[in-house]
Amino acid sequence: MRVGLFVPCYVDQFYPQVGIATLELLTRLGCDVVYPPDQTCCGQPMANSGYEHLTGGCNALFIRNFAEFEYIVAPSGSCVLHIKDHIHDANIAGKIYELVEFLTDVLKVDNLDACFPYKVGLHQSCHGQRGLHLAQMSELMAPPFSKPQKLLDMVKDIQLIDLDRKDECCGFGGTFCVAEEAVSVKMGKDRVADHLHHGAEVITGSDMSCLMHLEGILRRQKSPVQVKHIAEILNSKITG
Amino acid sequence: MSSSNHKDHATLAAAFNKDEPRVDWHDQTLWWVRQKRDKAAAQVADWEALRDSASKIKDNVLSNLSEYLTKFEEEASRNGVIVHWAADAKEHNDIVLSILRNHKVDKMVKSKSMLTEECHLNEFLAAHNVEVVDTDLGERVVQLAEEPPSHIVLPCIHWKKEEIGELFHKHLGTPAGNADPQFLTYAARLHLREKFLTRRVALTGVNFAVAETGEFVVCTNEGNADMGAHLADVHIACMGIEKLIPKRDHLGVFLRLLTRSATGQPITTYSSHFRKPRPGQEMHIVLVDNGRSTHLGRKDFRNSLKCIRCAACFNTCPVYRRSGGHSYHTAVAGPIGSILSPNLDMKKYSDLPFASTLCGSCSNVCPVKIDIHEQLYKWRQVIVQEGNSPAAKTATMKAMTWVLSNPGVYHTAGKTGRWFMLNVPFTVNNRLNPWYHQRDLPAPPKQSFGEWYKKNKQ
Amino acid sequence: MSSRDKILAAVKANQPDARALPPQHQGPDTSGDLTPRFITVLEAIGGAAFLVSGFDRIATILHEQYPGARRIVTNCPELSTFAETASPETKNHYDDDPHTLENTDLAILPAHFGVAENGACFITESQMIERVLPFITQNLVLVIHRKDIVATMHQAYDRIALIPTYGFSTFIAGPSKTADIEQSLVLGAHGPRSLTVFLLDEQLSDAGFY
Repeated sequence: MRVGLFVPCYVDQFYPQVGIATLELLTRLGCDVVYPPDQTCCGQPMANSGYEHLTGGCNALFIRNFAEFEYIVAPSGSCVLHIKDHIHDANIAGKIYELVEFLTDVLKVDNLDACFPYKVGLHQSCHGQRGLHLAQMSELMAPPFSKPQKLLDMVKDIQLIDLDRKDECCGFGGTFCVAEEAVSVKMGKDRVADHLHHGAEVITGSDMSCLMHLEGILRRQKSPVQVKHIAEILNSKITG
Repeated sequence: MSSSNHKDHATLAAAFNKDEPRVDWHDQTLWWVRQKRDKAAAQVADWEALRDSASKIKDNVLSNLSEYLTKFEEEASRNGVIVHWAADAKEHNDIVLSILRNHKVDKMVKSKSMLTEECHLNEFLAAHNVEVVDTDLGERVVQLAEEPPSHIVLPCIHWKKEEIGELFHKHLGTPAGNADPQFLTYAARLHLREKFLTRRVALTGVNFAVAETGEFVVCTNEGNADMGAHLADVHIACMGIEKLIPKRDHLGVFLRLLTRSATGQPITTYSSHFRKPRPGQEMHIVLVDNGRSTHLGRKDFRNSLKCIRCAACFNTCPVYRRSGGHSYHTAVAGPIGSILSPNLDMKKYSDLPFASTLCGSCSNVCPVKIDIHEQLYKWRQVIVQEGNSPAAKTATMKAMTWVLSNPGVYHTAGKTGRWFMLNVPFTVNNRLNPWYHQRDLPAPPKQSFGEWYKKNKQ
Repeated sequence: MSSRDKILAAVKANQPDARALPPQHQGPDTSGDLTPRFITVLEAIGGAAFLVSGFDRIATILHEQYPGARRIVTNCPELSTFAETASPETKNHYDDDPHTLENTDLAILPAHFGVAENGACFITESQMIERVLPFITQNLVLVIHRKDIVATMHQAYDRIALIPTYGFSTFIAGPSKTADIEQSLVLGAHGPRSLTVFLLDEQLSDAGFY
């Protein structure tokens, strides 16, 4: 199975280890993973700021880079949702998956050789959850499910903590994080506090942008709590 | 993004956030209301189907609105109700004033009507020497404080009981230091009962108006709309033209949804159906457009006219809970206000569609399934396209686009975060960048993923 | 052009293509005795309910519940020895000025039916003596027959279609209330401070009331 790996720009620039974990994990699960080198960005930062009309170049570049693949996978719900909503090219639409949904829905992973002996809080990023339906939304009166939790439950020795507000937004929101700095930070602090209150040692999720925001707050608070993309946990080898 | 003479949402929200314990209190109070909504909805086995029905009924209303308005007018007139039409806020206010003048009345009671807030009726009537007493307890509190409501269902949700105690001490003469909600409510009951008994004109809002029968429904918990209307010689009911529903039995759908969504109660204490004036009484209905017919023509935005003003989107909104209603500087705050207000004045309210993370919780709680967060996104596009975005932001976005559309530029400029740190709004590495006020950024790694891949995998 | 015609023309020009009404919403299947559900919900919203065999029993309970009530007004002829009734003479008097009901301590009125899902009772103008009475009285008592409880608001509107037309009607669910001050629930905002619903069931023995 030939998979084109899309590594969102800020992951490429700030969190290369997340790209590496994604690539290694998919390879271990039998995928032939290729990273087209000319990729940049999905165009979401401009579109969410009201400049969707400027994203034609990004869209064309994305199609050029990824049209040839059987599947396109990215470790970001937010970028994948944006592409699904905005690139209606037949060679892209229907082939692009966020990593978690690719693992549960396409590869149908039912066990993982991973071990992560920590107390972990799962941050449900809004675009993955409400946009891609990676998990049931607390507002809807419908049966619960959670694709990321299903995967994390396969990890040896992990302890998933409960949260008071299991799917409240962290306040990152793209340029919202600077345009509405006060509210953005307050939302982030409140999310962090919920995880800390329940004893999290690590906060994970499937969108690094949210985790970057939460990490920024944790570091400023001098907290020892770490953030890790879900790919890093699912790819963590059993050591010792 | 502040235009001329008012502060924008971000500025007002930053001021609100100066008092963090108060933000926590505001957030938790409203989150509790959201939780009550969840519990109430969970007890209705057909909740999601009910939302679907409500949304579809409203689709039908919007697509036949002119016919339903005509039918409603015909039926209401047949019932002996006097029907008025107001093209805008000014005409609405003039109509109300002329009814008061015809009856030589300069004092009236008013129950909750967000439409009259939208039209700034109280200020208008005050300027014409008419005294208006708001009779909803929360509205009376903000009226005594000379403020607009901060929430359409819970008007004084931003007030602490101690502050209300002080306010009542000053205006109603309650003992200083008494902040017991029961005591304060009883004091307001006595104060307002005297108003109900002495005012000859009562104005109410309208929750639903039924085209088939010409009746309208007003929902309250306090009973203030009924106390006012049934004691007054003249009842004026003001409604936006979108409040129409086709048939009376559709009320079954909407009344099951409204209060569960709003406060988590199974229904308001009173759901009063006004069809005819009582003998000797005069009953008026003012049908108000004020931009609604224009909004109806905006394909991407017309669904927001389905709103039944339950405020569930306020209570679930993580931004609203942490910025307070007044930060929206408009009569209807919260997510729904952010998609309704730009229709009234795109420049003045150009900041509101950006006062959101687009998390989507609002659309999920909406009892009539308005695609609120998608409309917020679409308003952003319209606002930028129509030139209501600051030039500096446009320049940044164009520069970003250029780099991100050109992989050669991206890769030379972007070696391990350097371009990012210089140009992407939230990462610009200087102390003026709001990111750094209360957050850190990770140090740029030694190599980007692209560089690692080139070295290790190609 | 009048504002009316301008508004209607603008609406007509801008309204989207016709969308059909959905099929009438069918509530959840309900069968069996709705009384316990009605009582549970009513109590949860601050009301009280009594299952009684007849009006004698109602009078007894009201004597116990409202010993201090001075002015008691009713529209139930069965309670005429207990309360002031709406005779044609007094009816006219109220009509002249509903304000005269201001000192009512207790009003006892029949209602058409109750709704199990929300604890509300439906009452029309003809049952109220005066429109303001169910609101202005300090305490309100409604009387319905136990068999007249419907499951949901959908069935409620099916029932309303069978009732003679009204100038005014209302659903009343519990006593008047507010939570405007810091979300603290207070019963007795502007209207009644208590609401009691009597559920009549002639089959019942007197001992069996709730």
